[in-house]
Amino acid sequence: MELDPVWKDALTEFGNIGAAHAATSLSQMLMSPVEMTVPEVLAIDIADLHKYISNEISAMVVFQIQGEIAEGGYIVVSMPRQTIIQLTNQMLGMGDTDREINEMDQSAAIEIGNIMISAFLDATAELLGIVMLPSPPALAIDMAHAAFESIVAQVTTDVNSVLIFNTELMSEAPPVYGSIYMLPNVELADQLFRMLERLMEPPS
Amino acid sequence: MENDFFGEETAVILGLGEHRVGNYPMATIGLGSCIALILYDRRRLIAGLAHIMLPESRGSVDRPGKFADTATNVLLDEMESQGCTRNTIAAFVVGGASMFVFSANSLNIGERNIAAVKENLQKQRIRIDYEETGGKVGRSVYFWPEGKGRLVIKRADGTCSQV
Repeated sequence: MELDPVWKDALTEFGNIGAAHAATSLSQMLMSPVEMTVPEVLAIDIADLHKYISNEISAMVVFQIQGEIAEGGYIVVSMPRQTIIQLTNQMLGMGDTDREINEMDQSAAIEIGNIMISAFLDATAELLGIVMLPSPPALAIDMAHAAFESIVAQVTTDVNSVLIFNTELMSEAPPVYGSIYMLPNVELADQLFRMLERLMEPPS
Repeated sequence: MENDFFGEETAVILGLGEHRVGNYPMATIGLGSCIALILYDRRRLIAGLAHIMLPESRGSVDRPGKFADTATNVLLDEMESQGCTRNTIAAFVVGGASMFVFSANSLNIGERNIAAVKENLQKQRIRIDYEETGGKVGRSVYFWPEGKGRLVIKRADGTCSQV
């Protein structure tokens, strides 16, 4: 599936606004500057997913998008193992980075995910004039691709491609790195297209 | 990501919902709730692999490898058209993990996938030679049809096993 370039631009801008708010909330939490990439918007055939999602062991915090569109798809914060340890240490004032992931890290990952995703959905929902809320989070610390499979399976029961928004966030001190992915299901994607179309109409 | 597993040119990595039948090495990388169903004919040294994502096709036919029910049938059909016979085919079933904690919802679809795959194998009277299903960790699966058939499973917790 190829995306129309105009759509792609509109969707990129949509993701940009959400990700910028998420980056701000992360920056406030870390009390340090956070940089972000311009979001990538891709329509990926499910068979090619493994070319885009790595197999690195990562913490994936997953939220279902709820609100006006019930079960509108999923939004995911993915952070490599080392980033999670850095973030927990930063928040608790600890120094040991050479350790195993523990329960504290799990809680920290979920909390950070929660704050970032709430900011993302708030900002994008306001742009569209609808309500989008995150479900309670689910967490997997595993191969990123393996965790993604379960999410993709939920949004592609009847279709063979999936729309993915991807933004990377990074900070130098502490050295952390993460990605936000949004996978709208077919209904939410349709609604996004319709709403963006309305926003792009010249004022009459 | 590891597109040249062990540098073998003929090796194929199968994405979500794909299936292949042949005498070359096959793999699926980063298997979560999905299932790698391998059917292997020891006499002809031909294998079929499907990267199954969901339990039921509900009438969908364009990606037979995606669903447990259609995947079993399409692998058997293609293997039989290459001269394999039902009674020398055995199955290897790997995957179907439940990876998410703090989640009671549909994300943990692994168990349903396992049940559906086994039910379909039983319906087709295919014996399961080796099974590693369920659990909480992701896996990568590699299969070489030559010799007696070699299956390697790498797990997210760093362990590895060979069958």
